[in-house]
Amino acid sequence: MSLKRSLNQIAAIAKTDFLGVIRNKTAIFFTLLFPLFFIIIIGFTFGQSGTESMSSISIGVVNFDGELVAVNATDSFNCTIGDQFIQAMESVNFTIHEYAEYGDKDTNATATYAISRGEIDAILVIPANFTETLAFHYVNDFGAPLPTKAHLELSVDPTDTTGALITQQSVLGFISGFVKHYQEIAIQQAPSDLTAYIEVLADPLTVITDEADVTENELQWIDYMVPGTLGLVLIWSGLNHASMTIATERTKGTFQRMVIAPVSPMVVLLGKLISALAIVYMSAFIMLLSGVLLFQVNLYWDIPLIILAIFLGALSAIGIGLIISSLAKNEEAANSISVIISVPLQFFIGAFFPLTMMPEAAQVFGNALPFTKMVNAMQDVMTRNLPFDAVVPEMLYLAASGLILFALGTIAYRISLKRL
Amino acid sequence: MIPLNDIEVDSVTKCFEDMVAVDSLSMSVEKGELFGLLGPNGAGKSTLTKMISGRLNPTSGTIKVGEYSIKDDPMKVKELLGVVPQDIVLYDYLNAKENLSFYGRLYGLSGKNLKNRINELLQFTQLDEHAVKRHVSTYSGGMKRRVNIAAALLHEPQVLLLDEPTAGLDPQNKHALWDIINVLKKQGKTIVLTTHMMDEAEELCDRVAIMDHGKIIALGSPSQLVKKVKMENTITVVPDKTSPSLIEQIKSLSDVKNVYSAPDECAKSETLKVITDCPDDILPDVVSTIVSTGTKVLSVQLSRVTLEDVFIMITGRSLREE
Repeated sequence: MSLKRSLNQIAAIAKTDFLGVIRNKTAIFFTLLFPLFFIIIIGFTFGQSGTESMSSISIGVVNFDGELVAVNATDSFNCTIGDQFIQAMESVNFTIHEYAEYGDKDTNATATYAISRGEIDAILVIPANFTETLAFHYVNDFGAPLPTKAHLELSVDPTDTTGALITQQSVLGFISGFVKHYQEIAIQQAPSDLTAYIEVLADPLTVITDEADVTENELQWIDYMVPGTLGLVLIWSGLNHASMTIATERTKGTFQRMVIAPVSPMVVLLGKLISALAIVYMSAFIMLLSGVLLFQVNLYWDIPLIILAIFLGALSAIGIGLIISSLAKNEEAANSISVIISVPLQFFIGAFFPLTMMPEAAQVFGNALPFTKMVNAMQDVMTRNLPFDAVVPEMLYLAASGLILFALGTIAYRISLKRL
Repeated sequence: MIPLNDIEVDSVTKCFEDMVAVDSLSMSVEKGELFGLLGPNGAGKSTLTKMISGRLNPTSGTIKVGEYSIKDDPMKVKELLGVVPQDIVLYDYLNAKENLSFYGRLYGLSGKNLKNRINELLQFTQLDEHAVKRHVSTYSGGMKRRVNIAAALLHEPQVLLLDEPTAGLDPQNKHALWDIINVLKKQGKTIVLTTHMMDEAEELCDRVAIMDHGKIIALGSPSQLVKKVKMENTITVVPDKTSPSLIEQIKSLSDVKNVYSAPDECAKSETLKVITDCPDDILPDVVSTIVSTGTKVLSVQLSRVTLEDVFIMITGRSLREE
């Protein structure tokens, strides 16, 4: 059979399958509009949370920058840059509460006491050597600046995991922006013969947090949700659609009619795969576009990587769907099984809330899911602006699970051919 | 050498676990023949047609369509076959043209060739040009059946398998479909028609195989099968009065084997039973003979031996009994 003929058959099957969704009001709601409604609801509910309205984020600052610190064997208590740092935070609308002590939860008027009562969202400790380090006060015997680090300590409220994530990313985003601005000034003011040296030295800040990720964007809550929703798209559009496609056609008899035509079963499968992928991509596009247009999501767009991740994740979703669709007795059974699997599954992929909130067994289960890897990879790429190298493990996991699950789906599909 | 038969079924058995659906069945369908498969539900008709169309593999035995074995050359057999399933197997959300385009592309048609073929078939099946632009879900049962048949004809198959193509249709639509089937027969198509409608088999089929319990229990043309039954065709006439001379006049008509009279309580008259081999042919003569004597005809009824009678005689039960 010629390749042209097979391609024509694949295109016909894919088109017909796709039209089945586009022209079915129920299917179009659950496949395309439900994700849109979801992002709108999330956007309007949580969209204003984040660094764009940072006055809602309260930071308890413990500024040790004015304390004595030994610099080149001399005591120093310069706090100029620490104060400027705090002013800069206020200028971008963080609500700042200054505390003299880090303290503990039982000692009134300390930062830990305040965070334990929910009065502040995070504690930021500015070290005593902050100004001295950023002003290059540490020099060698010849007067040349020494590489020195100032360690900012950021502690977030552990009782509010999702809020903590936002706060942490917001502060990190601010610090990243502050460092960038500082570097420009430092390099500008450096003597011409020391410019190259200062370029190396002018990265003096480290931030000690649970997740020391840095983003230069100012982030909103919805910015975290959008990459997560791509995982949900795989489940809603990929898994659910694929789980119905063969079962529905078998119940209606159209599948049997396809099989009695001179069409290879693999051609039918490829047509179905293309249609399912088109639906997943369309759904993802609607989700992302609505995020951009309605809520101005502030993300990084590594389009080829996003497309690849969706493809690999979709293989897993479609593979599971094919298994359900092939083995279910009829359309209704496939629908029931699909709901039973997909509804709980969406809570285990880290899209709604971090997996760390869940019991250990649930975390293990969630982390084993390809959709979770997809969400993690997309959050790394789209929110944290990490390069491809940083998500290679997730992508390999997605590729391996995608191939395995799709292969299992294909086997189930071939078994189902014997039941016609 | 070109085979004389388009379908050859040789000692085919199909078992589902312990149940034997088709039991060592052999048959052949000649080129251009309209072959009827008649039998009650569960007789094995559908299993046999599924095996011929390649949807099921026989447990044993061989099936050939044209010169190809379904086992060795399934794709070539599928090219030769057009299958009209019993159920309406169309996509509700597509219109007739889109449905036909889809099935045409599965059979390798494309472009202008496909478009022309679709238009030809819409004309052939008398589907209205405007109506076919609506989604199939809005069609009447008769229209759906016609699209269902058109979908099987797109690739101009030599052999057609029609599985109860008129099931559930009103008499008008049923006869319209019979006309289409007759045209296909005149075009030289080999047709296997699965049905449990006696009138359909008698009207359309050249030969009929009556199946029961997975076997063919009778095979022949409808008239040959009817002759096997030791029953007679009868014209029952109720005149307002009878006389021995009238009975003798009717007896003297050609093809009349005998005439009996019996009292008719409802008409308070006598009923005449005219025994003949060809009731349709002599009915006008019988009526005109009675009327010519100045007698009124109160009622006339034809009782013919049907394939149903043949089936009852062979199996001892009706075709529609479960």
